[in-house]
Amino acid sequence: MTITVLGISGSPHRHGNTETLLDSFLDGAKAAGAAVEKVVLKDLDYSACHGCNACHRDGNCIVKDDAVPLFEKMMAADIVAVASPIYSMGITAQLKGFIDRGQYLWARRFVTKTLEFSPEHLARHKGIFISTAGQNWDHVFDGAYPSLTALFHDAGFDYYDNIVANNMDEYKGIKNHPSALKEAFDRGKKVAILLKDMKTE
Amino acid sequence: MTIKVLAFAGSPRRHGNSETLLDWVLAPMAMDPEVTVQKVPLTEANINICRGCNACEKLNRCVQRDGMDTYHDKIIDADIILLSSPIFCMGIAALPKALIDRMQVFRSRKYVLKLPVVPPERKGKRLGAFLSTAGQDWPHVFDAAIPSVKCFYHVIDIKDADISYLMINNVDEKGAIERHPTAKTDAEKLGKSMLAEIRKRLAA
Repeated sequence: MTITVLGISGSPHRHGNTETLLDSFLDGAKAAGAAVEKVVLKDLDYSACHGCNACHRDGNCIVKDDAVPLFEKMMAADIVAVASPIYSMGITAQLKGFIDRGQYLWARRFVTKTLEFSPEHLARHKGIFISTAGQNWDHVFDGAYPSLTALFHDAGFDYYDNIVANNMDEYKGIKNHPSALKEAFDRGKKVAILLKDMKTE
Repeated sequence: MTIKVLAFAGSPRRHGNSETLLDWVLAPMAMDPEVTVQKVPLTEANINICRGCNACEKLNRCVQRDGMDTYHDKIIDADIILLSSPIFCMGIAALPKALIDRMQVFRSRKYVLKLPVVPPERKGKRLGAFLSTAGQDWPHVFDAAIPSVKCFYHVIDIKDADISYLMINNVDEKGAIERHPTAKTDAEKLGKSMLAEIRKRLAA
C-alpha cells in the first residue's frame, strides 16, 4: 500500500526558505515511493477561528470555507508535514489561523467525546514540523512547538519530528546551508519507509 | 499633560474574557481627564497578514495599504500600548499574531535601517501590557505567547522591564472571568499603577 504524505506550507512567501525545506522533505518521501501532495495556505480561503464555541455543542465548525476540508484531507494522510517560517518568535499568522480552526477537533475529542485515536492509529500517523528562522538563537523555534503539538494531537498524529534550520539571515538563504536540505530529504525518505514497513507488517 | 493609551483587543469574540480583562485595565485610565483611550478591536481593524516580502527592509514602510496605515502612526504616538489575546491552541490567537507580524516594518526600521522608532526624548517613556486569558488550567499555557508579545513591544522601543503581564487561566465560557476571584481587582490595580508610572516618566 502506498503511503500518503501531505505537505502544508504556511509561509506567505512562495518558494522561500521554509517551502524549499518542505519541498526537500517531500522529495525524500517521494523517493521512498510515497504519494505526495502539497497545499499552500496562501492559495486557500479561510477565516480566523471566530471563538464562538459552537463546535462545543456538536463538534462541527459553523464557518464554511477551506479550513475544514483541509483538516479532512490532512486526517486522510499517513504523514503530514506542516511548515512555517518563524515570524516574531512564532509561527506565521497564516498557519496560526489554520491551526486555531482545528478547535472543532479538540471539541470532538474533549467536549462531545466523539473522536478518539488509538495508540495504534497514532503510531501509524506521523506529524512533522518544518521551519526556518532568520535569527541565530537556538530557542527561536520554542514558541512554535506548543501550537504544533495541539494541531497534531487533535488531528490524530504522533508529533514525530522537527526539521528546523535557523540563522537564515546569515546564510543568505537555505540553499547556502551546509546540511539542512539534504537532512530534510533524508528524514522524509526515512519516515516514509518507516510507515511503509508498518503497513506491510 | 495628555496621556495617550492605545489598546488592541485581539480576540475574535467581542466582549469575551480577554476583552473584559482589557476593559478592566482601561477603566481607571479612562476616568482620568488627562487620558485619551482608544480601544481597537482587531476584528474591525482590517489588518492583513505580513506577506514576508521584506520590502520594508529597503523602503522603511510596508507595501500593503490597509488598517496598519492608521495604526502605524498611532503606535508611535501612544504612551501606553495594551494588547489582549485569548490563548488558542497553546498560542496567541491568529488575529493578534497578524498584528504582531505586521510590526516587521518597525523591526526593519530599528534593526536593519538603524533609524529611530520613536524620537530619542520619548525613549523609556512608553509602557506596555499584555492581557490574556486561557480556558486551560495549565500554568504554562501562556509560555508560547510571550516571546511573540516581547517582539511586539521590543520593536516599538518598549523594553522588557516596561512590559506588564496579567494572564488568567482556567476561564473558558464567555463571562467566566467575572467569577474569577482576583482578575478584576488585579486588572484595575494594573491600570492605576501604569498610569502613575507613565505620569512620573512623562514629567521627568
